Amino acid sequence: MDRNQITKWLKAPAKMANKYSLHAIYFCTGCGIIEVPPVITARWDAERFGIIPAATPRQANLFLITGYVSVKTLRAIIRTYEQMPEPKYTVGFGSCPINGGMYWDSYNTIKHLDKYIPIDGWIAGCMPRPEAIFIAVTHLWTLIEKDMANGYIRYKDNYESYRSNQEMALGKLEWPPLYPASDEHRGGE
Amino acid sequence: MVTKVMQIIFSPVLALVVGVFFLGLARKIIARIHWRWGPPLVQPVIDIVRLFYQKSVSHGLVFDLGIILSLAGSIVVVLFLPFGRWCPLDGSGGLLVILYIMLLAPLGMALSGGEGANPNISIGISRKLILSLGYEVPLLLVLLAVMTRYKTISIMEVVNVQQGTSWSIISFPLVLSGVSYFLILPAILGLRPFDVSSAPQEISSGLMAEYGGKYLALATIEHAFVLFISIALFVNMFLGGAANPIIFFVKMLVVFVPGLFIHAVFPRFRVEQAVKYLWKWPTLLAFLGLIMTMVIGG
Amino acid sequence: MNKPIKEKLESTFRDIQVAVPEDNRIAVTAEKPNVLAILRFLKDTGFDHLALLSAVDWIEDNCFELCFILTCYMQNDDEYLDSQRLHIILKTKIPRVKPQFVTITGIFPNAEPYEREIHELFGISFEGHPRLTPLFLEREYEIPPFRKDFDTRKYVEDIFDKIPFVMDKAK
Repeated sequence: MDRNQITKWLKAPAKMANKYSLHAIYFCTGCGIIEVPPVITARWDAERFGIIPAATPRQANLFLITGYVSVKTLRAIIRTYEQMPEPKYTVGFGSCPINGGMYWDSYNTIKHLDKYIPIDGWIAGCMPRPEAIFIAVTHLWTLIEKDMANGYIRYKDNYESYRSNQEMALGKLEWPPLYPASDEHRGGE
Repeated sequence: MVTKVMQIIFSPVLALVVGVFFLGLARKIIARIHWRWGPPLVQPVIDIVRLFYQKSVSHGLVFDLGIILSLAGSIVVVLFLPFGRWCPLDGSGGLLVILYIMLLAPLGMALSGGEGANPNISIGISRKLILSLGYEVPLLLVLLAVMTRYKTISIMEVVNVQQGTSWSIISFPLVLSGVSYFLILPAILGLRPFDVSSAPQEISSGLMAEYGGKYLALATIEHAFVLFISIALFVNMFLGGAANPIIFFVKMLVVFVPGLFIHAVFPRFRVEQAVKYLWKWPTLLAFLGLIMTMVIGG
Repeated sequence: MNKPIKEKLESTFRDIQVAVPEDNRIAVTAEKPNVLAILRFLKDTGFDHLALLSAVDWIEDNCFELCFILTCYMQNDDEYLDSQRLHIILKTKIPRVKPQFVTITGIFPNAEPYEREIHELFGISFEGHPRLTPLFLEREYEIPPFRKDFDTRKYVEDIFDKIPFVMDKAK
């Protein structure tokens, strides 16, 4: 057994626990939230995958952005996303976060959400069916297993670009930078 | 001596295993009542492991210490409860000590909640302490009745007498106290209709609103301990304890599962409705039980 | 039910046209100085619910048209008959250059958010309004967005498409 095997074996509980216990913050973004109650109630049961809605961002590790994102909603989404503890995963639901969807020429919505917060996966559809949501969850498990669901690491590394994009869309932001450029080791415990 | 030390170390671990199993069983049974499948039985373990791997945000020293105080209080109470035939700290005060230290759990979380800068936490704390006021009154009357009947404060003594004769809950004056304790058990456990203090939809889970990562893991573990403590106390005082741990565990299941059935279908009381319920019939029954015990058995 | 209201309106005010396009609808067209008086009169007659206040941009005629829709709350639910439900729409035109109007929050206090919305989306300012701050929008726009000469595709190309994608530094 070489060192790689040992570290992989030691990291396995973390990956398994992150996969099978995704608590989703119950943030109802746009019109797509109408597809989430059927998913978490009796007919298509999401609890057997380990997904339950969490009450606050501090207790969650999955962020579903369901539906279109107007400029005011983007402000709330960024504040919620920065409160979540790491590791955290975001999934864009529907075609509106991907490229604007039905509101591609609107004066008040954000067209590509990937410019403002990092997204790990997309689910296409307007709105996606609950079966599509479950396929996306199993895809997310595969990504977590292979260490490719690293949106939060990208956010930390490229924070200046994300913040400058956020300021271009929203104007002046009233919260300080999450990762200040001065010191390298900040945030978390 | 060595066996004593082994018992002291092993007893909280066993209580944790039983408590976590009850958490998983609760989610499974409630899901089946809702006509769904439900998570696997080991789901709370996966949740706790995941929470330990998350980086959490601390609000200061008192925030950390509060949850540790609450967990320590629960672990100490476990050491005083017999599980089957063995009880680690037997002759050291029994019921009186349990009455005092059982209150450390909500108070510890209230201490840490004062440090978190969220008004939802203060609302959660006030609701939880008002609910504690509601159920402490009948609980005290019930414990006094048991202590008077068996003329002892050691729980092991109570268990031994019941093993010799019959269970308390079918002997005359204590049947009133037993029924009263069974009626307030959902309030102590935080099951519906009394889960007003940790209402996720109304006050973003009250006390645990700012707990992320390892704090939430410790809070879940503490919830598991509280489940174990309350049900074990009831089984020891009214259902006769048990000769070996397996029968004890079966008796705990018999007490816990009807509470789950009620939890799955009922909505929530408001806190003043809950206190009004708790101070009406359970308190009356417990008071009658105490009077009858003093008249007959005293 | 329509006839008495129509006659009362025509007899009380001059410079007013009342039409009955369908069974339960009355359309009143009036000039700007009369509008407050007509609203007060209708409110006293029993139409005390301002259902909607909105604006239309007639760019060819170079004017805005403000539309007030009034209904009455059903007093007794037992006597609710479909034929008695009456909507009155009151329309008035104002010029498109530097548009201005008077606030009606004195008569209908619930018109306050409607007037804020019209102010930020059309640019019509209301004198006497207590709080004319933006309601829905966060950004600044040179031409208010609901006007017909606001080109929304060009706005999207200029502002939102120019924000760059984030290139990962690790790659």
